[in-house]
Amino acid sequence: MAIAIEFSHIRKSYGDTVIIPDLNLQIEKGEFVTIVGSSGCGKTTALKMINGLYEPTSGDIFVNGENIKNIDMIRLRRSIGYAIQGSVLFPNMTVEENISYVPSLWNKNDKEKTKKAVDKWMEVIGLDSSMKDRYPSELSGGQQQRVGIARALAASPDILLMDEPFGAVDAITREQLQNELKSLHKKTGITILFVTHDIEEALKLGTKVLVLDKGEIEQYDKPSEIVQNPATDFVKKLVEKQRRACNLPDERLRECEYCGAYMLS
Amino acid sequence: MIKEIGILLSTKWDFFGKLLLEHIEISLIAILIAIVFGGIVGIFISEFQKSAKLTLGVINFLYTIPSISMLGFLIPFSGIGNATAIIALTIYALLPMVRNTYTGMINVDAGILEAAKGMGSTKKQILFRVQIPLAMPVIISGIRNMVTMTIALAGIASFIGAGGLGVAIYRGITTNNAAMTITGSLIIAVLALAVDFILGFVEKRMQIHGKAAKKQNRILAVISLVLIFCILIVGLLPKKNKNIIHLATKPMTEQYILGEMLKLYIENNTDLSVDITQGVGGGTSNIEPAMESGEFDLYPEYTGTGWNMVLKHENQYGEEQFDILQKEYQEKLGLTWDVMLGFNNTYGIAVRKDIAVKNDIKTYSDLQKLNGKLILGAEYDFFERQDGYDMLSKTYNLLFASTSDMDMGLKYQAINSGKIDIMPVNTTDGQLAQADVVLLEDDKNMYPSYQAGMVVREEILDKYPQLHSALQKFDKLINESDIQRMNYEVESGKKEPRDVAKAFLLEKGLIE
Repeated sequence: MAIAIEFSHIRKSYGDTVIIPDLNLQIEKGEFVTIVGSSGCGKTTALKMINGLYEPTSGDIFVNGENIKNIDMIRLRRSIGYAIQGSVLFPNMTVEENISYVPSLWNKNDKEKTKKAVDKWMEVIGLDSSMKDRYPSELSGGQQQRVGIARALAASPDILLMDEPFGAVDAITREQLQNELKSLHKKTGITILFVTHDIEEALKLGTKVLVLDKGEIEQYDKPSEIVQNPATDFVKKLVEKQRRACNLPDERLRECEYCGAYMLS
Repeated sequence: MIKEIGILLSTKWDFFGKLLLEHIEISLIAILIAIVFGGIVGIFISEFQKSAKLTLGVINFLYTIPSISMLGFLIPFSGIGNATAIIALTIYALLPMVRNTYTGMINVDAGILEAAKGMGSTKKQILFRVQIPLAMPVIISGIRNMVTMTIALAGIASFIGAGGLGVAIYRGITTNNAAMTITGSLIIAVLALAVDFILGFVEKRMQIHGKAAKKQNRILAVISLVLIFCILIVGLLPKKNKNIIHLATKPMTEQYILGEMLKLYIENNTDLSVDITQGVGGGTSNIEPAMESGEFDLYPEYTGTGWNMVLKHENQYGEEQFDILQKEYQEKLGLTWDVMLGFNNTYGIAVRKDIAVKNDIKTYSDLQKLNGKLILGAEYDFFERQDGYDMLSKTYNLLFASTSDMDMGLKYQAINSGKIDIMPVNTTDGQLAQADVVLLEDDKNMYPSYQAGMVVREEILDKYPQLHSALQKFDKLINESDIQRMNYEVESGKKEPRDVAKAFLLEKGLIE
């Protein structure tokens, strides 16, 4: 399979503080990679180096085989979708203007094409077209996140970077958004990198999970492998709860000595 | 007072209307420059933060300069008149503009800016599509403050000969016409409030969301831009009449009258039209340089002032030195004393009429007859001044029974009611016309002579010989009691300088 993103000997430090000592990783096209780790582990740093918001201290990053040092940064960023935590929609723009932001940076004159893209992505992400003329302040938290995702996807990127996009929404909405994002990944087949601090979310969404600690890879594998065969003590501790969750049908719950139902019987 | 203001407004609406328009123009130009320039500077220093501290420091410093001294600094560079006023107003308007733009720009949520960057916006796109629109509310409120302040501050512009409602205020102050001062101030206040209201409306409109509102906003914006453009065009269009001469006057009642008198006569008897800048603040020190640079063509001046202040001679001036004065004016300055008006505005001594008649006192020396017997009343200032009390008592060897400090107005009341016998005066004081006193002759020439005359640029006389002929009609036309009476009519009789001037010319048969 082709490689979408590659980190090669990436080091990032601020003065004496080393965030990432030496990161080497290849991410295949079409993967949904969730990056998990405690805060300060370098997961957001790694993500933002891909679209050049942060510059590595040393090492190279390849996107679709090209070293990003040799690509025009503006062009690179426009070809990569980017969605971040909280409400960072442009408050001065309507929903429509927000979603069409990236396409409008590209093709100023082709308004028809932009309009079609907006309609398409609003439908995909589950937003009613009557919301087009609303402003972010008139939307609920969940709707804002949907617009944020539609905005990231509007230019049809083949890579999507997401930095804790569901961090600020309630549990029920988050569940919905997670399901929609997962089916969206299946439909489009684009490569997604998704940063989260919630291991449950990471295991649920990812086709691969990347566990980072102090800037180093603890494990990079399928969710099932992470849970079944944690590579290090750190990973083991991280997935402790998931390892002991039984996921049994109702009638068999009592048989499992590790689940809540057993203890009460 | 309210009634007086009402009368003023209804009878002189054309006067105030013209000043109002000038006021709007001066403020508007300064405001527009400040918005554009200050906005650019504010955006620039928010992009290059290292330069922010220094820039804000410099602008802060400029802001602390008192407006009067700011105008003083600017006169050597940009002269007298609207240009200097606009520059000064722009400088003061810059601080709120730059600071608010800067504050608005740097307080835009960093997360939003990073999102815009991460999505591939160029620097310019981030600036114009995200950062500036988001900073707009803060910038607009800065503009609101700045506009109100500029309109109020434009009131001082008349101090340096610029137009605007300050002209009414300043004229009110110098000619002792409180109603005029208050009316001018009131119109400024109303103008500032009205503009603030309009900007408040703009602020509100900008916050309304929706396509229809945006379309209406666009229409309103276009209409207001066209209006602003029209006002500026009307103001900036050069006046068609080419034969204009520029006359300046000092902020003194008699000069306001002289200005109107000359304008009336010259316009009636020649093809010239006269543009008067009344009551230029700072008097000689601001008018004279403007004469040399050709901004003004003529103004009433006093010989003693010309000798000491303009030619910078140290010694005391007497009329026997007139030829030297004239020669130096012509050779050094290209100016000439074209006509002497006939009155002397100097210090004088007045004695109650009954005392003077009874004791046959006509000169200062005659006062010896009553040495040590008279009561002297004068402003506090007279006892402090070098050429005041000490010089008088030394030169003429005089003693007084007693002396007392009193306000200028009270001095005249006191002498009329017999509480004091003798007092120093200005020989053109309006109140002298009504007081029961005799003005004594300075027989030892203790005080310098301040004969009033018209100083004119020689160039303009060559260009318009008809001006010279017209001015000769004023030769020795006005004596001290004429000017005292006219000053009195304006200051106490509340007449308009123009009406007083017209009545005088009619009386002398110079106009019909």
